[in-house]
Amino acid sequence: MESSETYRDGPLEIQQEAHKDSVTLAFSGKSILRDPAEFVLPILLGAMKQAFDQEKRLVLDFRHLSYMNSSTFTPIIKVLEKARVGSGSVSVLYSKELKWQDVSFTALTIFATSDGRIKIRGAE
Amino acid sequence: MKFSVKPDWNQLEEVNDRASEFLRAADLPSGTVDTYTMVICELVENGIKYGRASGEEADALEVSVDLSGQTITVHVKNPVGRSSRTHLRQLDQILQWIRGFQDPFEAYLERVKEISREPMSQGKSGLGIVRIAYEGHAAIDFVLGEDNTLSVSAVAKLNG
Repeated sequence: MESSETYRDGPLEIQQEAHKDSVTLAFSGKSILRDPAEFVLPILLGAMKQAFDQEKRLVLDFRHLSYMNSSTFTPIIKVLEKARVGSGSVSVLYSKELKWQDVSFTALTIFATSDGRIKIRGAE
Repeated sequence: MKFSVKPDWNQLEEVNDRASEFLRAADLPSGTVDTYTMVICELVENGIKYGRASGEEADALEVSVDLSGQTITVHVKNPVGRSSRTHLRQLDQILQWIRGFQDPFEAYLERVKEISREPMSQGKSGLGIVRIAYEGHAAIDFVLGEDNTLSVSAVAKLNG
């Protein structure tokens, strides 16, 4: 691991780690933020810039998130769309064992690209 | 289960814990617990966002969750002011819009696509009600009482 930083807001924690080939944002806890654009969006955009500037994959790991309100989906959707129309690589990791994650994140497969540049992947 | 919530965003973590504990105590499968915890929390979030958000006990939201047979009924009631009229119109429009789709999943996908086209600065999701319909398989309705109390309900079959 090249660097690591932790962000917290209430019961939500986001761990940012830079690796040789990727920049990872690992979400854990619960996201019940009223305005996730204020807290989450700058972190997402910062990690995205860091990853794409260094030609690394941005990995958004939600497997350890136990709850996420609908407002939190907004910045994630916007970042996925920004990546889709651009040229960077993004992976979204969710847990297939958590029913709510399986149902919620399945809908985000509309952003997946056939060349694997944008991946939405459920882990067992 | 019935309880009151002060119209204060900081109450939501407790609402989430309380809803989850209640549903777990009813021996529902963990996936069902997560789904209807989400339904309860999204309705309470809306009540706080668009009700009289004074933070005062007098404007508290009344939450009730009823499990009977294979049906779950969630009601969230809160007083609304004049400034909430726009929200009520939007709520009515979004419910009509969802009913225009054969499958709520299609409505959810459409809303996700709409959000993706909105500017980064637009933070409002408008996804909560659609998510309740899609993930919760719930029929959603609302009534505005003569005393300016808004009651929003979500009713779903637990095996649906």
